[in-house]
Amino acid sequence: MQSSFPAKSVTSDSRTSFQPPAAATAPGAPVFSDGAGGFSSDRTADTARLDRADRVSRTLDPRTKLFLLLAANLMLFFHVALATQIIMAILFLIPLAVAGRWRLTVNFAVLYAVFTALGLLDPEALGLPWLHVVSALAVGTTMMLPCFMTGAYAFTTTSASAFICSMRRMRVPEAVVIPCVVVIRFFPTIAEDYRQIRNAMALRGIASGGWGLVRHPAQSLEYILIPLLMNATTVAQDLSVAALTKGLGREGEHTSRTPIRMRAVDWLAMVAVMIPLGLDIAGVIR
Amino acid sequence: MKHNRQSVENGIDLTASNAPIVPNNSADLDTGTSTSAPAKPRKLEVADLITIGVFAALYFVMVCVATLVSTLFTGGFGSIFLPAIAALISGCVYMLLVARLGKFGGITVMGVVIGLFLFVSGHFVLSFIASIVFPVAADLIARAGKYKSKALLLVSYVVFSYGLTGPILPLWFMKDAYVASLQARGKDAAYIDGVFANINTGTFFISMAAILVCALIGGWFGQKMLRKHFVKAGIA
Repeated sequence: MQSSFPAKSVTSDSRTSFQPPAAATAPGAPVFSDGAGGFSSDRTADTARLDRADRVSRTLDPRTKLFLLLAANLMLFFHVALATQIIMAILFLIPLAVAGRWRLTVNFAVLYAVFTALGLLDPEALGLPWLHVVSALAVGTTMMLPCFMTGAYAFTTTSASAFICSMRRMRVPEAVVIPCVVVIRFFPTIAEDYRQIRNAMALRGIASGGWGLVRHPAQSLEYILIPLLMNATTVAQDLSVAALTKGLGREGEHTSRTPIRMRAVDWLAMVAVMIPLGLDIAGVIR
Repeated sequence: MKHNRQSVENGIDLTASNAPIVPNNSADLDTGTSTSAPAKPRKLEVADLITIGVFAALYFVMVCVATLVSTLFTGGFGSIFLPAIAALISGCVYMLLVARLGKFGGITVMGVVIGLFLFVSGHFVLSFIASIVFPVAADLIARAGKYKSKALLLVSYVVFSYGLTGPILPLWFMKDAYVASLQARGKDAAYIDGVFANINTGTFFISMAAILVCALIGGWFGQKMLRKHFVKAGIA
């Protein structure tokens, strides 16, 4: 541990509170509260479990979410017709609304409607040839939006433990699962550290003010990234110790406290998404 | 074997030796077989995977920052320069990861994890393929230099940076889509060619060249930072 001393000068205070209770502040944020490989404290785990209990019944299985993502990608791949695209977009928005993400749903719906309308503009008829740039971009964005819809759905409604459990069920190698756990666990820490570093910089009058960071980009990068990296190395050590004592390195099957089950709704969602896509590829919808 | 482990001065191995001793642990077996070499065990252990995860998280944040900057600078065409800007700023992360790990597989796993997160956050599925192929190549190149050779590490960083081209590939798919939608509305081919006079393969090559240049600068900057801060502190 002799190596970790220099990092203390800048970021030692950020490590005293090990895990900010992300669950309490942002219910939609990925919450790490896993019995199988858990790093989080009991306090956050309890609140997370409470609000997961009523949420888990209203979202789809993580594997279904992955399937929806794949379907959205297939749409992009096969250049589906406009009618199919609209049907699919509505289908993708339904689970988002059911999960109670109303603002996200409305935002996506409005964005999609606006870009579809823009894509249908005829620059020739309006006599404004430069509108082609807008129109082309709108068509492109409309194609990308279903991917972002399903992505937002997957991101905001999946708890970390459900994600991990489903990855294990899908036989994803442990070498990929463990880094994924750590990535999800580490995001709040990065945000917290960043705030601390900016405070420390402001105290010394470095890069303060709105444009301070932009004026010396290389310096800003160095002054922010190096403490983050210093801290990352110490956190990696701490996490390793914590995880190994909790049995993350055990071989064999790991159990999970989050129940993951494919229910009728999941199969229904998969079939519902595949019908318009299949019809389009078969050439029924034009 | 015990003595060999504790003589390694690296922090990762310190924590690994703190691990609860599990009978039949494959890592122990692995060190047992490679006692002839004084180097670290070749296989990735849990501690290494956690290190990779931490660095992958930082790298992913860098990619997000790059997306933001790229969107601000280039307006609607947003992500054309995403890989280039990401390459410019995340050299430190990459170089420190390689210096900390020094094992085959680390770069590959990081690429796969990044690709997975890009896919889940709604990027194109092809980005997953790119983020497996290029990191594996980068890993092989870095291994050729035993994760020490500066020049080879720089090359490997450049190759790794191309792994991020996945998210921008749909731009060329989108072009096809717009052409299709124009044809559906009865425009003739010559007209369509005129529309795409400046959105062509030229931008593709510019974007690819930008990745090369930016990755070289970013990697060099990363190595400089590594020398300046981490080697002195005994971390790398």
